Amino acid sequence: MLKINNLHASIDEKSILKGLNLEVKAGEVHAIMGPNGAGKSTLANIIAGKEDYEVTDGIIELNGEDISELAPEERAHNGVFLSFQYPVEIPGVSVTNFIKTAINETRKAKGLEDMPAKDMLKMIREKSELLEIDRKFLSRSLNEGFSGGEKKRNEIFQMAMLEPKLAILDETDSGLDIDALRIVANGVNKLKSKDNAVIVITHYQRLLDYIIPDFVHVLYDGKIVKSGDASLALELEAKGYDWIKQELV
Amino acid sequence: MKYTEEDLEQELKTKEYEYGFYTEIESETFAKGLNEDVVRAISLKKNEPKWMTDWRIEAFRVWEKMTEPDWANVNYEKPKFQDIAYYSAPKKKPKLNSLDEVDPELLDTFKRLGISLDEQKKLANVAVDIVMDSVSVATTFKKTLGEKGIIFMPISEAIQEHPELVRKYLGTVVPTTDNFYAALNSAVFSDGSFCYIPKGVRCPMELSTYFRINEGGTGQFERTLVVADKGSYVSYLEGCTAPSRDENQLHAAVVELIAMDDAEIKYSTVQNWYPGDKNGKGGVYNFVTKRGLCETNAKISWTQVETGSAITWKYPSCILKGNNSVGEFYSIAVTNHFQQADTGTKMIHLGKNTRSTIISKGISAGHSQNSYRGLVQINSRAENARNFSQCDSLLMGNACGAHTFPYIEVKNKSAQIEHEATTSKIGEEQLFYCNQRGIDTEKAIALIVNGFSKEVLNKLPMEFAVEAQKLLEISLEGSVG
Amino acid sequence: MELKEKILSSYVAFENGIDINSDVHEIRTQALETFEKLGFPTKKLEAWKYTSLNSVLKQDYSIFTNKGNAVEMADVKQYFIHDIDTYKVVFIDGKYSSFLSQTTHDTIDVCLMSSALNKAKYKPVIENYFNKVAKQDNLTSLNTAFATEGTYIHIPRNVEVEKPIQIINFTTGSEAATLVQPRNLIVVEENAHVQIIERNQSLTSNAVLSNIVTEVFADRNATVDYYKIQNDDENASLVDNTFVDQKSNSVVSVHTFSFGGNITRNNLNFYQNGEHIDSILKGITIIEGKQHVDHHTLVHHIEPNCESHQDYKGIFDDRSTGVFNGKVIVNKEAQKTNAYQQNNNVLISDKATINAKPQLEIFADDVKCSHGCTIGQLDTDALFYMQQRGIPIKEGKALLMYAFANTVLESVKIPEVKSRITKLIANKLGVNIGFDL
Repeated sequence: MLKINNLHASIDEKSILKGLNLEVKAGEVHAIMGPNGAGKSTLANIIAGKEDYEVTDGIIELNGEDISELAPEERAHNGVFLSFQYPVEIPGVSVTNFIKTAINETRKAKGLEDMPAKDMLKMIREKSELLEIDRKFLSRSLNEGFSGGEKKRNEIFQMAMLEPKLAILDETDSGLDIDALRIVANGVNKLKSKDNAVIVITHYQRLLDYIIPDFVHVLYDGKIVKSGDASLALELEAKGYDWIKQELV
Repeated sequence: MKYTEEDLEQELKTKEYEYGFYTEIESETFAKGLNEDVVRAISLKKNEPKWMTDWRIEAFRVWEKMTEPDWANVNYEKPKFQDIAYYSAPKKKPKLNSLDEVDPELLDTFKRLGISLDEQKKLANVAVDIVMDSVSVATTFKKTLGEKGIIFMPISEAIQEHPELVRKYLGTVVPTTDNFYAALNSAVFSDGSFCYIPKGVRCPMELSTYFRINEGGTGQFERTLVVADKGSYVSYLEGCTAPSRDENQLHAAVVELIAMDDAEIKYSTVQNWYPGDKNGKGGVYNFVTKRGLCETNAKISWTQVETGSAITWKYPSCILKGNNSVGEFYSIAVTNHFQQADTGTKMIHLGKNTRSTIISKGISAGHSQNSYRGLVQINSRAENARNFSQCDSLLMGNACGAHTFPYIEVKNKSAQIEHEATTSKIGEEQLFYCNQRGIDTEKAIALIVNGFSKEVLNKLPMEFAVEAQKLLEISLEGSVG
Repeated sequence: MELKEKILSSYVAFENGIDINSDVHEIRTQALETFEKLGFPTKKLEAWKYTSLNSVLKQDYSIFTNKGNAVEMADVKQYFIHDIDTYKVVFIDGKYSSFLSQTTHDTIDVCLMSSALNKAKYKPVIENYFNKVAKQDNLTSLNTAFATEGTYIHIPRNVEVEKPIQIINFTTGSEAATLVQPRNLIVVEENAHVQIIERNQSLTSNAVLSNIVTEVFADRNATVDYYKIQNDDENASLVDNTFVDQKSNSVVSVHTFSFGGNITRNNLNFYQNGEHIDSILKGITIIEGKQHVDHHTLVHHIEPNCESHQDYKGIFDDRSTGVFNGKVIVNKEAQKTNAYQQNNNVLISDKATINAKPQLEIFADDVKCSHGCTIGQLDTDALFYMQQRGIPIKEGKALLMYAFANTVLESVKIPEVKSRITKLIANKLGVNIGFDL
């Protein structure tokens, strides 16, 4: 599904990714772990197409197609979803209105008619139940005054609504208490299928107790320096990141 | 006949404003210039009673001694008042045979606003077929109102049919001496609307100038008088989201509202006069005086969406005379290209326990200048007066300006006044977030602007609000590269 | 004779006493022309809409006092911040008092404007800075036309002045009403740091009108903290015109404490000519009787990445009138500006008036600007709560008012100034409590 080859990227002439390789197939869950500043969020933003970063070398392919020239919304239309580490606030725009616009714009890009209101309503009802979201919450301004947990739950709710092929969860566990974490993880697990893939970016192993990864990668200094199965995450939890650094030296 | 996108584009290039704009109009027009004789002649033409003629003459004499104000934050070439023809009625727009004859840009806008074909015809002055006969609609309308004793007619008719009412209230809220443009309007006003809601009556429908009977062309000096008697309620809509192409450069309207004890008037405006072209050439000067008087427990609520005109100079105000009266002002002002808007409100608190709310949303794009100017005045006897004001500006691009000039004058210690103002732009982060969810930048801007304006849009009557949202979107097109 | 005529006709006599061939005098005569053309401000001017000088201008002011009257230190010690060591530049009726002053030329110059204007060694500084940031408006021009005396401060690069500088203008005006027009020039070079405390004090019951112009130049990385204590006699009126020119990375704060005087008008103008500048404008106004205090501020953001912070608190009793007119202009080039303006007022009496006009004029899109203005009363629930715990109503009110004003006091960097202001506030509120909250 996703194939990244020798990816180099920088921001303001500061090099952040230095030859990163990653392949994610449909039906897989990958976890990317690593110390602060390793480039985890940069990777997520680059896959989503944020303009601040300059890709200096390498290829990003989605389903065999090079997406590096596509605008962020075009990548989204192709099924890329990024759950933001810090979701932005848009005052005055309700969650419902926002998600309705997002779905219909995506449908428009695919040459489909707007989703009938009845279907939309049904879908909202289903997905909000899945994430234990209160109906009142849906009428509030997007992310404005939301607690950390509400913001993250809202991200996963949008993911559920948009049904992406590739979901990237950027530090979705940060700022969540244990109950919220369980709800979010439960939501993600239910949305998992053999046709889609999930990349979980996290600093801690905690979330991986709930979303079991097929692969765990360690990102350090702009490169993936170690890959393994779920047990690697436990090892990192126990030993910290320093042993990786030492191993590299 | 098929009308393809290419056709449209071609027409846009070559035939701008061919129709309805510079066309010779069959009308009776006085020579240019203004003097007492012209004022008399206007009055005579309209067959007005002597008191009305005298009233106009008095206004003219006042106007002659006044000078045009220049304190507003706008720059323009002053109109030449002796170069204007002050009487030209009945102003018939040219009748067109089919929509094919209508300015394609206008049609395009109609289409994007979602205005029905029949309505498009009516707005563009195309002969309307029997399916939607404006007269029959109007007749049904009139019958319903008549049963409730509501008077809703052109003010020229009201002067003939209800002289006692007009005479009693005309000029009581905006006196002829009030300001330069109000004095001019009083002397030469062509027509406008009169509305009277009897005691205790709740007007069952939105009163809209759009449906007004025998409309004689809105004219450049419109005069509106709305009287809501004790305990009555009316919601009044002025204007239309469709673009108004009017060859009159200067518009100086006066609107007076009177809300008697326990009455409520909700006055909503969508102003979409011709704003001039992308280079700032042409466009309407819109110098309006709007004011309402609230008696005890009365409430007046002004809501406006201002997207048109080259120059806007407009401060819908409330005089909160009665105890416990309430004044509200909700405004969205969008300026793009070279438009200039100086708009806001005055809330004059005279009575006890009076409350006012001001929510102003200014959106500036292109090379435009957008100013909020407001006065909150708490007089010494206005015990426990409350005001909350919020003025938010959104800037798009780096060639426009947003200005806030709030005046707060308080002479009573029990007053509670809160004023907040913020200025912001559409954040890159917000745009990226929307893009990531599949929403392109243009749509994202529309979404964010609508969110920014929501508190005001919510105050509009439902069907108006939907159109106003689309209007905002269209007004800001091309404002971000 | 009208005051304006009197001033104009006295100019010849004024010229007799000074060197009229100097460059500075050319500036003066031009300024006189400007004043002649503009005259005194009237309420018709938007900038003077809420402040009328009519009653003040009716007085028959003596324009030149011949000789400063002798003043005993013991009589005026209370007006100094005397519990710390400071430089002092003291004037009596516009004349320098060497007896009360402590000036210096050691590394830094803290001395008289008259010396700076006349001595050759100051000429380059005068040429570069004198009348360069001051606006050419009516009252500033009037001051410039007669500018001969005042305080001159010049801090060279990298010098952190070890003690504050006090500027005090006393007026004795024993013979008649007096007009004084001090002219101050403060030049703070790169990376230098100075603290200034200014006070005007009338020692007479005759009317006094002070029309002061102060120009402050803060070069790159310079820090200037300026404290203005306005607690004058009820017959003394003040027009204080301060102009601040800031270069990159400089930080200038002006705190204005207005408790006394008849009519006080503060024209405080900041111009940010560089990047990463911080401008801080704060004030506490507590007045009563028929007092009138008008704060007219301008922060002009000219270049990118700068900040400004304004915080003005006012408490108005009796028939007093407060005016706050704050203007923030953000030029098109001044992207990433952060400008904050806060004005909060409490009216204590039925006859007091507050007029506020917090303006924003924004021409750049990537900025954060906000202003807030409130007018209200003391929280009655809080008062009741305090009463219930045994605090009398008067003290309770004073505590609330002190807490209300405290955000301004918090940023005062000289502890002695802070404690003096605290005492003045306690005095003004008629309570005898230390506000050690």
